[in-house]
Formats: sequence, structure tokens, C-alpha cells
Amino acid sequence: MGAVHEAIRLLSAKGRSGDAAAFREFQELASHVTEADQLLLLANLAKKVFAQAVSNLPIVRMALLGACTFHPWRHLLEVRLLGEGVRPLFTEGLFDNYTAEILEPSGILGAGQLDFALLCPSANRLMKPSLAEENCAVGREMAAESARELLELCRKAHERTRAEIILVNFPLPCRQDWGSFRNRTMSTDWTFRRAVNLELGLTAPAFVRICDREYLEARLGLEKAEDRRGWFESKQPGSPALLAVLASEVARLVAQVRSPMKKVLVLDLDNTLWGGVIGDDGLDGIELGDTSPRGEAFKDFQKYIKSLKDRGVLLAVCSKNDEAKALEPFGKHPEMVLKREDFVAFYANWEPKPENLRRMAADLRLGLDSFVFVDDNPAEVEIVRQFTPEVGRVLLSPDPADYTAQLQDSRFFEPRQITKEDGVRSEQYHAEAQRKGMESQCADMDSYLASLEMVAEVQPFRSVDLPRITQLIAKSNQFNVTTRRRTEAELTAISQNPEWGHFSVRLRDRFGDHGLISVVILHFENGVAEIDTWLMSCRVLKRQVEEVVLNEILRQARARGCRELRGIYLPTEKNGIVKDLFSKFGFIPQEKGGLGKCYGLAIQDFRPLVHRISLQQDEPT
Amino acid sequence: MSQPDGEILLKLQTVVDGLFLDPPRLTHQTKATDVAEWDSLMQISILVAVEKEFGVRFRTGEVESTRNVGEFCALIRQRMVGP
Repeated sequence: MGAVHEAIRLLSAKGRSGDAAAFREFQELASHVTEADQLLLLANLAKKVFAQAVSNLPIVRMALLGACTFHPWRHLLEVRLLGEGVRPLFTEGLFDNYTAEILEPSGILGAGQLDFALLCPSANRLMKPSLAEENCAVGREMAAESARELLELCRKAHERTRAEIILVNFPLPCRQDWGSFRNRTMSTDWTFRRAVNLELGLTAPAFVRICDREYLEARLGLEKAEDRRGWFESKQPGSPALLAVLASEVARLVAQVRSPMKKVLVLDLDNTLWGGVIGDDGLDGIELGDTSPRGEAFKDFQKYIKSLKDRGVLLAVCSKNDEAKALEPFGKHPEMVLKREDFVAFYANWEPKPENLRRMAADLRLGLDSFVFVDDNPAEVEIVRQFTPEVGRVLLSPDPADYTAQLQDSRFFEPRQITKEDGVRSEQYHAEAQRKGMESQCADMDSYLASLEMVAEVQPFRSVDLPRITQLIAKSNQFNVTTRRRTEAELTAISQNPEWGHFSVRLRDRFGDHGLISVVILHFENGVAEIDTWLMSCRVLKRQVEEVVLNEILRQARARGCRELRGIYLPTEKNGIVKDLFSKFGFIPQEKGGLGKCYGLAIQDFRPLVHRISLQQDEPT
Repeated sequence: MSQPDGEILLKLQTVVDGLFLDPPRLTHQTKATDVAEWDSLMQISILVAVEKEFGVRFRTGEVESTRNVGEFCALIRQRMVGP
């Protein structure tokens, strides 16, 4: 076990003994730890040791929507957010049902106040050109169309909730598959997803923050990010290592919305802007410029700092030096990239650095929390941490070749808002979307459902389907009104007994085949058709499969000459989702019913329900 | 090379000691449901740590089908031995 594991163990002992400082240390660790296994341990501590301290933090409400499971992702995200000083309250949408959750009044976005919605869309739904029809222009237009559709969904989510939207873009495939042909056509996932991601980035409005999964996976390594086993076992979007990276990024995006931006970069001089000590080595002795590798590295670092200034960052110097000596290279060294006039404050003296930072803040009329202090000396960074903790800190490593990377990866000076021009561009995009009729296509649930081009296949139990039917009966917990489990043998018996009715539903849409997703068993007795079993895979919720099922139930009941339909809801810990299913469709609650709740519906009053699914039906045997 | 399940159990115990706040004493009969702290999050921690410490990779679906620590140890041994 490594040093971080040891630190976590010590922290857990400390926290359990009631040490008040322990939670502060927990937050410190939570904001720095990067490995998934370490974040998991911290998640366990947050839940079991620091629950009280956690409950005192300000709340951030976040909806989690996507074509993946958010367990354990959301726990890693929680740790990261606790590290940022906020406590998340998550509401999780149904698996792969984000469109309905966003568009439908009963979707989770309708339920109260929301600060953020995290959306991790399905790459499977992207419609890319086939090789046959492919030409570049068609491919690009399809990519733009996919991006527009997704951003319209984001806009809907934002308009309903005012929440900031964090949109995870699409991962690139890691395997060879097309080989070097992959970027010679728009028909490969590789090229098409890149085009969609690019379009998303360039056209997203200000309330959409992109969690750039394409970049993050490239940085981590595509092979390290992939986890096919995790997908098949529990619909994980990627490996634990990727989840840790995504959690860190999302927490960072949340923090950026909530906290003020850094404005001032405060730099040390000796061994920071040049190699050596100007007071000892003199103008000729310091390392700076293209005559030596180290000198070149320092010069390169200065170029990067200059580019930050061009982006609007204010530069300042805070150095232990005689002022005249400190100024000398700025005036006289030919390789200096930075000039004295690039700096808004120049503090070269022998005062403690926290003192200088305070004076600087007062002079510039800025809060200390908008400062970032950069030094190669650990002692100086530590004293700044202790006396002016609001100041952001970057400790430069021994090798000047790494300085630029260290400052860049500190992420203190990332732009938060897109510029005015970007704002205009996003308006243009919106107008474009309207012109293309995207608005109307995505505007309401009904047209969305129509656009899916769904086809349902309703069939009595067939032996070839029995293994899948048995599996659904054994495993479905959520959309399952009675949760009655049966063996394959029992189901075979039912399928041969005329007292019982039965059917299954398969669903496909323009994005693909969902397979066998719903199972119904009816029992006919004395003119009453009782719904013994009605279950459905949650991934097709809110697709109007319920309507198809109920129409078929009524059709069978009528064919058997039944007068009444009876529905039973047996509540379990997991099936709250169907609590109101029967009342929603006009069933009347009955007085008695033994266990659970009993509902009745007079068959002659029933009119077939309207839906957007075309039917493909076999006659029942 | 193979390891008897007893040794695997001992090593698994040290892994578990590093993860739980109140580590359970593992026996071959122990089930996750016997241990309050062994929730789904802990299960993920254990799997990540076991794959790392034992240098194994479980195949799709096979961890879910083990019913107690004894069967889990047998699975670890099987994967250590190789295909």
C-alpha cells in the first residue's frame, strides 16, 4: 500500500476519534488524490466517518443523465466535490432515458431546484453516414446535425431548470478496426465522433460546459480508459481510472462556475524566470536563452507567461532580492522575453512573501483569492500557504523543462466564459437550428417519439424466447408490478394452459434493436382478467410501450369475453416506479386486495390508447 | 504456479484490512451480506484492490457468480494459474 493509502488510514483513525481538524485534511486529500482506488476509500470515509461534517457544507444539486450507470462514478465525483467545499445532492435519471427525463413533465428535471445537469449521451445514437452514401459534405452535415440535436436537448434542460449543463462529449474508439483508413472517411466512429465533438465545442452556448472526454481519454490513454467488462457487467462508461478522471473534471467544472477566477500571476525571479541567482551570479552568470538547454527552458517558460499576459492575466513579481539587482536582467539581458512593463506590480525586497502579497492585493484592489503564487522554493510556497491560504500556489519542480507544464496543469488560468464573439456565434447557431426546424423536431415529447420510428413486436411466449423471459422475470425489480418470480418450467406450463394469457414485446427504433423488453402474464377467471405479471426493462420507459402493452392486454381480455380487468401492485423496496401505473391509466383502486393494492377497470369503457409505435403482431395461439 | 486457497485467504485478509474501517475476519463461509460495511461501493474497492494485489483479471460475470469468500478465493486461484 502506498503513501496515500497510509495517509487515508491515519485520517480514518483521526476522524473516528473525533479530531475536528480531520475533515479539513480529508478535503485536502479529496482535492488532490487522483487514483480511483484512493477516491473509493475516501468515498467510504465520507459516508461512514465524516457524515456530520459533510452535512454542514453548502449543497449543490445535480441531475445525472446518461447512457451509463453512475455508480460508482457519482461517489468519486462526490469526493471530488467535497474537496471543492460543496456537498452534492444527486438525482439520477433512468438508464439511457435522458431524452424523456429532459422533455417529459414527469422527468427528473421537473422535480424541484437544480444547479447542474450532467449529461453523458450515448454514442450508439449517433447516425453516421454509410460507406455507400458517404461524401465529406454529407458526413459533415450529419455530424453538425447530431451536435445540434444534442445541444437543443441541453437548451431544453437549461430552459426548464436554469441549471448549468455539463455535457460529456463522445469517446473515440480505442481499437484498430479500420486501421489507417479510420480518418479517410466520415463513415468511421473515429472520424465521425471527432467531427461531432468539434461541432459541439464550437457551437455550444454559454450554459453548456463541455466535459471533454475525447481529450481526457487521449491523455489517460484510450486502452486504459476502455472497460468492456464493466460495460457488460454494469453499464460502466469506462474503467475506474477513467471514472476518476471524469469525476475530477466534472468537479473542476462545477468549481469554476462557483468560484472567482484567478487574475494575477505572481512570480519569483531566481530559478523561476532564469537559472541561478542574479545577486550572486550576476548578469553574465544567470542561465537564460538559447545558448544552453536550461537557458532555453527558462526562456520558453517566459514565453508561456507572456502568452498568459496576452490572454489577460496580470503579471507581478514577488522576489527576495535588492530591487536594483532584480531589475537588471529586465533592462539589460538580451534574452529576456518579459519586460518590466509587462508587470503590474514589482516587489523585490526582503519582506516575508505573504506580506508582499497582502500589499499587492491592496494596491491592485483585488482579493487575495484572485492571486496565484509561483516559486521554486518549497519553503516560500509553504509560508504562503500558512499565512495567505486564499492564494493559489504552484511549486515548480527542480527541472525548468517542466515549469510550463506545471503551470498549465495547475489550471488556475483557464478561461471561464466564452468571449462576446463566441456569444454571438452561439446565437447564430441557435438561429440556424431554428431555420433547420430542429426546434420543432425536438420541441415536444410527441414529435421526439415519432422521430424514433419505433416498431414493437408483440408475441405470445415462444420456446425460443423463454430463456430471456425467464431472465427478465428473475431479475426485473423496478418496472415490475408484482415481482412474481417463476422458473422456466413454470412458464412453459403457463404457456400451454388456456386459463393463462401471455405475451412479450420486442422494441426497435431507428437507433437499433432493444430486444425483448416486456413480459406480461394474465390469468382469466370468471370474466375477470387479472394482470399476474407486468414487467418492463427500464431502458425503454417513457417510450409508450406501456400503452402498447395495455392495448394488447385489453385485446386478449376481450377475446376471452372478460368484463373486467384487474391490476395488482405489490410494493417492494425497488418497484416504486410503478406505484401509480394503474391509476395513471384510469384503473380504479379497490377496497380489498389482501397484500398490496388492487385496481379494477371495466373493459367496455376502455378505448385503445394512442401511441407512436407501429405494431408487428402475431395472432395468439 | 498455484497457491492453496488458505494462502490466498490470508492475502485477501490483508487486502480487506486495508480497505474496511472495521475489517471482518474472513473465513471461506463469509458472505458480503454478513458484513455491514461490505456494500456495493466496498465491493468495487475490493475488486480493484484484488486485481492489483494478485495480478489477476476476472472475466465478465464470474465474480458475480461466487457466493462466498471461499468461492472467491477459488476463483482468484483459477485466474492466477492462467487460462
